[in-house]
Amino acid sequence: MQENDIWSECETYDREQFRKVQSERLVDTVKRVYEKVPHYKNKFDQHGVSVEDIKSVDDLSKLPFTEKKDFRDNYPFGLFAVPQKQIVRFHASSGTTGKPTVVGYTKNDMTMWSEMIARIVTMAGVTDEDVAQISFGYGLFTGAFGLHQGLEHIGAAVIPMSSGNTEKQIMIMKDFHTTALISTPSYALHMAEIAREMGVDPKKDLFLKWGLFGGEGSTEAMRREINGAWGLLATENYGMSELIGPGVSGECLALKGMHINEDHFIPEIINPDTGEVLPEGAVGELVITTISKEALPIIRYRTSDITSLNYDKCDCGRTTVRMAKISGRSNDMLILGGVNVFPAQIEEVLFNVDGIGPHYQIKVFKQGYLDRIEVDVELIDANYLDSFGKLENLNQTIKHKLRTVLGIDAKVNLMQPRTLQRFEGKAKRVIDMREDK
Amino acid sequence: MGIKQLSIFVANEKGTLADVTRIFREHEIDIRAISVYDTVDYGILRTVVSEPEKAVEALAKEGIVSKLSDILTINPEDKRGSLNDIFTLLGDNDINIDYIYSFLVREDGSQLFVLKVNDKEKAQELLEKNGVEIIREL
Ligand SMILES: [Zn+2]
Repeated sequence: MQENDIWSECETYDREQFRKVQSERLVDTVKRVYEKVPHYKNKFDQHGVSVEDIKSVDDLSKLPFTEKKDFRDNYPFGLFAVPQKQIVRFHASSGTTGKPTVVGYTKNDMTMWSEMIARIVTMAGVTDEDVAQISFGYGLFTGAFGLHQGLEHIGAAVIPMSSGNTEKQIMIMKDFHTTALISTPSYALHMAEIAREMGVDPKKDLFLKWGLFGGEGSTEAMRREINGAWGLLATENYGMSELIGPGVSGECLALKGMHINEDHFIPEIINPDTGEVLPEGAVGELVITTISKEALPIIRYRTSDITSLNYDKCDCGRTTVRMAKISGRSNDMLILGGVNVFPAQIEEVLFNVDGIGPHYQIKVFKQGYLDRIEVDVELIDANYLDSFGKLENLNQTIKHKLRTVLGIDAKVNLMQPRTLQRFEGKAKRVIDMREDK
Repeated sequence: MGIKQLSIFVANEKGTLADVTRIFREHEIDIRAISVYDTVDYGILRTVVSEPEKAVEALAKEGIVSKLSDILTINPEDKRGSLNDIFTLLGDNDINIDYIYSFLVREDGSQLFVLKVNDKEKAQELLEKNGVEIIREL
């Protein structure tokens, strides 16, 4: 692990200090939402919980959950706890169907947000010496602006590239001596591919040291692929617009989980089916309560993300709780012929096969009563062209690994390189064509 | 020295073959021989072209994976049974043929055969010793 600074003393609090600040802020947040947000008042009343019942962080589980649906039902500003006059920024999630999820920030929220990002970029290696290229799309999406403010806050030089126009991205990277790349992991892989096509060797011709990736989950195999392609050190950070945007948690250089900004967010892990809170270390759905936000405080938000929490002190010196890489989303779990599979698991298998590229697509069909799965991958290694047998072997190897590791029988389609869709934002790897899932 | 064959990965999608021939045309590369197996989802196109190195580069630029390899090209005598003699000779000497395809040389009307065998050097030596003409240049 490389030495780097810790941005805030809050990141090294002991458990007692965290408990104290979390309890104080939780009690205050609960009071505020009960008074200011009718949705919470109704919900708490229906749930039979009163503001007085919440005395410390131990009482958190008495409160009802908040879900994505609550944002939709209260569109656009129904969950806001401050009058519009105090809002200085709006963002919205890229809802694929229906209305977007709208979020707002007060001046204080903006300051705090920058502070949270400052911690996360610092733990990922970035300092005021760095030139950071932000290749997230600027706009309603929180990713670009969130990182932007925090990076400026620590004094890094920010290039607000936005996503797309990949050849220009590479040119700017080269000419501006970009040292930190901020994007989704799938876009980072795509950019590396374009760089090589342009005759640019990312390791020799560019100056990248750090890659801060987020906006979608990634696996260890994907990290290796990105590190190898760019010659940088990739870390992952986590957030969602409902909670604040990026800034909820991020990986330090020890690469052993993402440190949650615990003085601003209280995490819990629940059983997604029963809602029961699970003990420390258990794998389940992440639930987050915001305890410092003014405009849009959120109580027990069900993120749908599957992870676990580790409260041990980290090698980096931070004491904030760490969440494991997201192993899937409770709502993107595929049930294939009775087997539960997360797309991330399929990805992990594919990344460990030689001869194929990092892009893939999973298609699910219904054939009679059976689920039929097809996995499209790109052949990139010409050495498999010696004989058809070699190609067939490669195909069988992939099929075999999917069967032994995940227990699924998939048809594997070898494709020409660059035929699968590339993504500049979040990748959509699964096409489920079954009528009722 | 010898004749080089290009193996090109083709996925069973509309227009893949046309993509390959279009790239060749754009780069003024002539196709001398071509062969593709009957495959369901994907296959390997084998071809002998005028400028193989240039062809690999042109294909790579468009994201098409291809590989150059040395192959054995022969000009068997134009008489009944000559192929049978050749296959028997190779078989008797434990040389396996992975695939074979033939093409016509327009200039002199001769029919050449491309052979992929497990031991090219041995096969070449054996065939030459038995009077089969080996083609080293087109
Ligand atoms: Zn750490």
